[in-house]
Amino acid sequence: MENNGIALRKPVKILDGIPMLIICIVICIALYILGITKTFSNNTMRYLLKIFLYITMGEMWNLMSGFTGMTSLGQQVFVGIAGYSVAVFTSTFKMSMWLGLLVGAVIGVVFALLLSLILFRMRGMYFAVATWLIAEAVRLWFNSWRFVKQGAGMTIATSQIPKVRELYIYALTLCIIALVVVYILLRTKTGLGLTAMRDDADASSSVGVNIFKSKLLCYLICSLFIALAGGMFALQKGSVLPSSSFSIDWTVAMVFIVIIGGVGTMAGPILGGIVYVILSEFLAHFPGWSNIILGAIAILVIIFLPDGIIGTLQKKLNFEIFSQKRLSEPKKVKGLKEKANMA
Amino acid sequence: MQVIQVIINGILLGGIYALLGVGMTMMFGIVKLTNLAHGEFVIIGAYLSTILASALGVDPILTIIVTVPIMFLVGMGLQAGLINRVMKIGSEPALLVTFGLSIILADAMLLVFSADAQRANVPYNTASIKIANGLNISTLDLIVFGISLATIVVLSVFLKKTFLGRSIRATSDDLEAASLMGVNVNRTYAIAMGIAMATAAIAGMCVSMKWVFYPSSGGNYLLTAFGVVVIGGMGSIPGTMIAGLILGLAQVIGGANYGQLIAYVLMVLFLAVRPQGLFSK
Repeated sequence: MENNGIALRKPVKILDGIPMLIICIVICIALYILGITKTFSNNTMRYLLKIFLYITMGEMWNLMSGFTGMTSLGQQVFVGIAGYSVAVFTSTFKMSMWLGLLVGAVIGVVFALLLSLILFRMRGMYFAVATWLIAEAVRLWFNSWRFVKQGAGMTIATSQIPKVRELYIYALTLCIIALVVVYILLRTKTGLGLTAMRDDADASSSVGVNIFKSKLLCYLICSLFIALAGGMFALQKGSVLPSSSFSIDWTVAMVFIVIIGGVGTMAGPILGGIVYVILSEFLAHFPGWSNIILGAIAILVIIFLPDGIIGTLQKKLNFEIFSQKRLSEPKKVKGLKEKANMA
Repeated sequence: MQVIQVIINGILLGGIYALLGVGMTMMFGIVKLTNLAHGEFVIIGAYLSTILASALGVDPILTIIVTVPIMFLVGMGLQAGLINRVMKIGSEPALLVTFGLSIILADAMLLVFSADAQRANVPYNTASIKIANGLNISTLDLIVFGISLATIVVLSVFLKKTFLGRSIRATSDDLEAASLMGVNVNRTYAIAMGIAMATAAIAGMCVSMKWVFYPSSGGNYLLTAFGVVVIGGMGSIPGTMIAGLILGLAQVIGGANYGQLIAYVLMVLFLAVRPQGLFSK
């Protein structure tokens, strides 16, 4: 129990409470203004909107794996479903992309609801591989489904594709909403229950955490946001294909983002998303090497920095950023801490 | 006749599926590791066999004399050098490391071998044996089935009868007791991975004769192998055989368009209803 002293030393929370709120709001407003006023070039905005979407996806994967212990390798299914929904609504039905996005999100959530009936019977690696199997099955189905033009893929009606600036604003908004939702979720009782569940499912269930309900809520939120981000990615790309929309590469990206930043930290995926987009843009100069280098980096990080960049920094320097813990009982902790320090 | 033909094809297909799954099942049952790179190992085996066979001008079956020892050593090295280390951090990181490995290997093969379709050509490719009117058995299928069956039988005899096999099973049953009795756990794990890789080499050779393959085919074979593990039950070799047969039948009945889809759906249902498998201990 020699760790007691360290464990009880209260981490210095930086960017917590009102100052954090102000800084975050200022950053968000600045990003909006810079986007709307065309201060950013189209290229910069393209990078940034990718970063926002990847942060959203990473944050969601982290919510599932890092905070609730559901490591999914099949979240690309929601990317694909939403992308196809946008494509079908804009080119086949000649309707608005918003309707496509909305329907895509709804189908994603309903599909997730159905899947939860099967998936929540499994844990750990079974869950991981089952999600992958489902994603592959859906990909195969789209590959031979005439309505979505089988393996040839579909294009999104050009009249419906928003300008980069508009898409930038949507992606930024989605990212902010996603971060706020995750933050609030983790700060509430549900979030506490989820973290407890990740650490010990049986114990948390015996003290009254409704595992099924908490997991379901989490899974549905993840599916919703990943579907929305996936739909926007499809809009950015302009076309969908079974092999790329349902590609395991989406999961590779999410896993990479979370591992680099730090599993189970709020700030981790933000840093991870930025690193991922910069790295993959840089690696685009070396065709074919991208995934090899990303994979190698991820393995090295797992071995040498199992907590990721943010997680390791937090432990080493003893601070917390966007802490999801509600350490609001300083008196009790203080007494213990002094005792521990004396001992 | 049609029905019997389908059943025969399914059974023959089941043999190679069982072989794909047997390496995965060993890692699952003994090392308690989900090796997500198993599919890439199979494809590496397929490339090695194809290249060797065409370079030396021999039958691909003979190449396993070379590929099996190589893959065995690579597997031991991989487990001893990397995965044993990661498994100390936790099971989730280990899962993700094998995932990373599979991505790296798939793209490395793409760089080395390009995206072109490959296949090992054998003279008995299209030959078949006629049993009755309208009932044919492809010679290749029969050979592949024989190789799969032989590999699995040799493996299970090895695990049952030899000292090393017993120590491997002991580690799988009770890690602590085995290590107290003097079993070197890290070494056992390395050997288990070596064996899994060796079976992947043989499976790869069969795949290269039977189907066209690409550097990206690994995921497909991984999921099939996993399905075999799931349906058959972890570490159960008879279960693996039966599971291979079930998947083989599903694939044949579904045909070219829906075979894979039906197989995947079947696996998910099995996972949901009976995650411990048909033949779990």
